[in-house]
Formats: sequence, structure tokens, C-alpha cells
Amino acid sequence: MKASRVIFDGIIRRNPTFVLILGMCPTLGTTSTAITGLSMGIATLFVLVCSNGAISALRRAIPGEVRIPAFIVVIASFVTILQMLMQAFVPSLYSSLGIFIPLIVVNCILLGRAESFAARNNVVLSLADGLGVGIGFAGALTLLGSVRELLGKGSIFGYQLYGADYGALLMVLAPGAFIALGFMIALFNHLTAGKHA
Amino acid sequence: MKSTLPNMVLSLAGIAIVAAAALAAVNSCTKSKISEGADTARMEALRAVSPEFDSHNTTTGADGLTVYNLTLGDTPAGTAVETFSDNGFSGRITILAGFDNAGTLTGYRVLQHQETPGLGAQMDTWFMPDAGHGMVVGSNAPLAVKADGGEIDAITGATITSRAFMEAINKARTAIGDER
Repeated sequence: MKASRVIFDGIIRRNPTFVLILGMCPTLGTTSTAITGLSMGIATLFVLVCSNGAISALRRAIPGEVRIPAFIVVIASFVTILQMLMQAFVPSLYSSLGIFIPLIVVNCILLGRAESFAARNNVVLSLADGLGVGIGFAGALTLLGSVRELLGKGSIFGYQLYGADYGALLMVLAPGAFIALGFMIALFNHLTAGKHA
Repeated sequence: MKSTLPNMVLSLAGIAIVAAAALAAVNSCTKSKISEGADTARMEALRAVSPEFDSHNTTTGADGLTVYNLTLGDTPAGTAVETFSDNGFSGRITILAGFDNAGTLTGYRVLQHQETPGLGAQMDTWFMPDAGHGMVVGSNAPLAVKADGGEIDAITGATITSRAFMEAINKARTAIGDER
């Protein structure tokens, strides 16, 4: 198994949002604009790479019966470190993502990758898996955020394309997240159909 | 590693200790930066809503509101109040309201809210002077929306938020009234 293959798999074949449909809470909650979606994606990417690496390095030192609490302690530590760093250096971004940063701890993508990949593979492959899945997640959130921002507010990354008054408010609100996500999953499956061996 | 009791205890304790040490290290590095950032943000908000001032002291007014008594040189330069309302559409709305010495509202800033994006969340700009929805900034008396017999246009589709906003501003006004 090659690292590049693992990264590619994480982005496309095992895309956490469009294929595995995991981590829906931040996906729906933070994608009202492209920039918040991207920030959330990068934050999750950071924690995912760190926790995958650390758990893979520790995998032989963790007895099977206590692996879940051990994984959670590792993940929670990285999330808290990220939270403190964001609060110190990018306070405005921190306040716009709010509760979703600490909630990365319970994002099932992280525990899922730790359990099904990092606990069974070496450090390099686990880092690659974290990177791939993280990029897949960040990409999906950015895409979803862009679509919702474009349809809802007429802008992308804050850059106004047409009058905000013509935007469909629905797309910025919670139902718009479900609608946009549904269409995007359908599109993604259509595009990758036949490529799932 | 085998799942024997000593193994499990050792491994979990080891991980927890390392994690705690890492967190303590990061915390000590970022702590001063975080509180500094909060101070800067508060000062920036104070400057945005208030008349010109160069120093302030903090007291606690009615309802436990934080009142900033502003001074320029030796003369009083108005007051800013960190006020709130729990009657919004969703959770508490926290607003910083600035007043000059005569009790005229000089500005406001919404510090924290969870109102609906696109509806109630517009309050950060809706009541600003150039928005043309009635005189909020510059007002001298308690405020009310038109539906309640006042003179302010409520945010379209968000009358509840608008009422909560008025309540918060009025509460701030009462708090500084009590001070004098």
C-alpha cells in the first residue's frame, strides 16, 4: 500500500462527507459560508493528521480493551491545543466557528479513522490517511459552503458576485444545508459511479 | 500489549499524563495572548461605540450589567454599558451600548447572539444611523418598535429580535440613569 494511494482514497473513494456520510454535524453547521467551511475543514484536517500519527505510533502500547478511551484522550488533547492556539492567534475565526471547534472531539471521522486505520497501520500510512481524509473533508465543506454562500448571499469567500437581496435565504439556513448536501452527494456519486471497484 | 489490568492502567495513565503535560505547556504559552486579545477586542468595541475617551473604569450597574465610566483627561466623557436581553429569538443577545454625558446613545455593537442568519442577525447593521429605520443612535429616551407604539422600524421578519434589542438598549439606559 502506497502513501499516495492512501491519500487519494481518502479524498475520493472514502470521502468522509460524500461517500461515508460521516461528521454531519459540523458539515451542516459550519458551511453557511465558504470561508467558515474551509476553516472548519482545515481545523479538522489538523486534528486528524495529528491524532492519526500519535495513535499509530502508540498502537502497540495500547491494550485492546482500553483503546477507545485512549484514542479519545489523544484526540481531545489535540482539539484542546488547536482551540487554545486559535483563540490566541485567530480570535475572530475562533468566535465565528464557536462551539464547533470543541465538538471536533466527538466527530466520528476522527475516531473512525483511528479505529479502522491508524490502529492497524504504520505511522507514515496513518499520516497519509489523516491527510487524505482531512483534505476530502475540508474540500467537501468548502464546496458546500461555496454553493450555499453563492445561492444564499450571492457571494463566494465574501466576494460579492450579485446583489445579496436576490439570494435565497433558505440556503443560508439549516434546511438549505440539507438540500445542498443532498444534491452534492447525488452529483458526487454520479461522477464516481463505476469507479468503485 | 495484553489487556491485563496493570497494562491497561499504565497505558491509560501514561497517555493521560503526556496529554496533560502537552496541554499545560500550550496553555502557558497562549494564556497571556488570549487575555490580551480579549482586552484589545473590548477596547476596540468601546472606541467604536463611545465618544472619544482616554481612560475608563468599570462598575457594576443594575441587573449586574458592566458599566464603563469613560473619561477624557479629567472630565467625564460618557458611559458604555455591556447590556443583554434574554428575550431574543434564540438565546441571549449581548450588546455594548455607548452613551454621551447627556444620555444620548452614541453607538452600539452586538457582541454576541444566536439569532437567525439573514433575519434577526441583521441587527448589527439594521439599527445603524445610515440604515434609515428610525433613530436608534442619537436617541435620548426609551425605545420601542412601531408595533409597540414606538418609532423604530423592526427588522423585517424579526420583530422578536428587534424587541429584545430595544429591551437591551433600554436596560442599559436604566443602568446609567441609576448611576447618576
